[in-house]
Amino acid sequence: MELPLAFDAQLFIQLTVNGVTLGSLYALIALGYSLVYGILKLLNFAHGDVYMVGAFIGYGVLTALGGPLSLDIALVPLIVLMFLAAMLGSGALGVLIERFAYRPLRDAPRLAPLISALGVSFFLQNSALLLLGAGFRSYDSFLLGSDQPELFVPGPLVDPVFVIHGVNVQTIQVVVLSVTVGLMVALTLFVARTQLGKAMRATAFDREAAAMMGIDVDRVIASTFFIGSVLAGAAGVMFGLLFSQVFHLMGFLAGLKGFTAAVVGGIGSIPGAMLGGLLVGLAESYAAGYVGGRWSDLFVFGILIVVLLVRPSGLLGARAISKV
Amino acid sequence: MKRTLVLAVLTALVAAAAAVTAFGGNAGSDQTGSSAVPAANDSALIRCGRTRTIGVAAPITGAAASIGSQQLRWARYYVTRYNATHRTKFRVVSGDTQLPDTAQAIQVAERFASNSRILGVVGPAGSQEVQVSSAPFRNGGLGYVSGSATRTSLTNDGSRRGYFFRTVPNDDQQGPRVADYIRTVLKASRVVVIDAQNSYSTGLSDTVEAILKNRGLNVRRESVSEESTTDFSSLVARVPADTQVVYVPWQLAPKAQLFGQQLRAAGKTARLFGSDGLFDPDTFKIPGSLVSFFPIDLKSKVINAYRRGPGKGSTELFGLPSYVAADVVVRAVDKACGNGTATRGEVRRNIAATVIPKAQSLLGFTVKFVKQAQAPLGPGDMQRPANFGIYQISSSGAYVRVS
Repeated sequence: MELPLAFDAQLFIQLTVNGVTLGSLYALIALGYSLVYGILKLLNFAHGDVYMVGAFIGYGVLTALGGPLSLDIALVPLIVLMFLAAMLGSGALGVLIERFAYRPLRDAPRLAPLISALGVSFFLQNSALLLLGAGFRSYDSFLLGSDQPELFVPGPLVDPVFVIHGVNVQTIQVVVLSVTVGLMVALTLFVARTQLGKAMRATAFDREAAAMMGIDVDRVIASTFFIGSVLAGAAGVMFGLLFSQVFHLMGFLAGLKGFTAAVVGGIGSIPGAMLGGLLVGLAESYAAGYVGGRWSDLFVFGILIVVLLVRPSGLLGARAISKV
Repeated sequence: MKRTLVLAVLTALVAAAAAVTAFGGNAGSDQTGSSAVPAANDSALIRCGRTRTIGVAAPITGAAASIGSQQLRWARYYVTRYNATHRTKFRVVSGDTQLPDTAQAIQVAERFASNSRILGVVGPAGSQEVQVSSAPFRNGGLGYVSGSATRTSLTNDGSRRGYFFRTVPNDDQQGPRVADYIRTVLKASRVVVIDAQNSYSTGLSDTVEAILKNRGLNVRRESVSEESTTDFSSLVARVPADTQVVYVPWQLAPKAQLFGQQLRAAGKTARLFGSDGLFDPDTFKIPGSLVSFFPIDLKSKVINAYRRGPGKGSTELFGLPSYVAADVVVRAVDKACGNGTATRGEVRRNIAATVIPKAQSLLGFTVKFVKQAQAPLGPGDMQRPANFGIYQISSSGAYVRVS
């Protein structure tokens, strides 16, 4: 591996911008893992594939409205529609998965829903493969909204919004960051201030007691899956806008890294998921930039191992208290 | 009493199943209902019948599914076109090799070898798959023609002579051609070579890097996992701003397109030079880029019919050599079946002797296989003038042949 001899500020800023953008996606995926784990103590391994479905729904809306090269409507409403469709579609999928793959196994040994989750993951991947084929679909965000796509004139999404020490921060990166922060703030307020949010916290704390207090636990759990899947759907569209291509296997590694982010930050913790996502994104970016592309995954999963060894509850996770 | 009866019935069923399995010699019979099928090997005589069978081994699922499925579609497309114009018909049996999982490739090869109806094989796709499949194919006497395995040693080491053939130039043909173009035509002095961490890519990257370095060029080598990487921005950051050419011997055109766009968005003006795996006019369209590929006729009726038909709007030209490979295998089987029976050995010999004239070959040159080694060609490689041309992508995304 080739290491830089001197500190290159421009490279560092570029990699930081990349890392924060990427980390935003992982944070949204991690939130879904954390929400579900917090309530059900279940690792929803199908979550990465819900993200994949969201990306495809966004692509479907894009192509239905003339995209990516000859849009029927303006770019901003198009993107809003893509987000809405993907979020609602993924949310509905999440509710269905909970209803048919996890709820019947709620009282089964812990391994059973885990295996069911893996089964759902494979089911979604192969369904996408069979229905949509193995080829990559492109959001073509470089040319999306361009006045002259036939001449390879870039669209507004890649226009620089501002420049930091020679590094262009593109419109799409700002959009992704803004939407992510907005969703996270909305989620935090929702969980803290709304009745359903309180019910979710109560159910996470003690499901049986919550049921005894009159909380409809089934509804709370379904809502949790809905919210987590909505975030995954949003992440899927963001991924398509950032990196253009969507394909049936995209959820696997992203889901794994989202899970890593959730564990690093503290599974079950919302701020932990956000912090974990950021750390994973930055680690991946710095490793790819300073060490080499082939090392980035090694660093990301290496961090997971280190955190599990040093602080198994995660950076912001609550330590489990056991009675003696 | 009831339990005893149930046990007796179950025992009888098991015994019957065992008897059928052991003595049911008609399990592999052809449609004309012949007697017990001979064992699948080199010299076993097989009745051809009106419907003949070829195998197609490709990664239909898994990380390389996007390219494997193209190869399968193109091979099937050839068979469909053949069946529409001939009395005898061909049937395709597909095997999913799930590249890069070579364990699956071995299983597919063993299944094909033991299926006595299969007279020849198109594939496998990856060089590492060819390596692990060699023994089962050899034991079964099957000839196999790959449309994408380019590692030079596959034909040059002599271990697959008479069994393995390919309808793509090997790395030692493509690599020097590309390096020569970079040095003498583009006159570049600062090059970055980015391999995709698979056997196809590293072979080409090693060759090009070595030749350019020997000629005194400044060559930087990078690596990226093409299948799993979605964000190339960090890789882009590692490409020095003064780089003139970036050589990307990858196989996934959408990834190369994204990389190229991110390179341009970062303000870097290096020219991208892709290998044959990136020849995809529908997807890889970075203006000014170069791609090496066969000297095909992009306006060919066959290619355009594919686009309208199985391609569903795309030409998927990565799979084109598999069409030609299917052509080779089918011609060989047809010739062997001239008297109504054939052996796999006959089919293999016919493959080796196959000649597809330029007018009938979609590759743009006559397809004929080397019998004796003539470096860098080995037995099973296509004879000269088989090699790649160089195409440049215009500002409108059109591919124009420049060499």
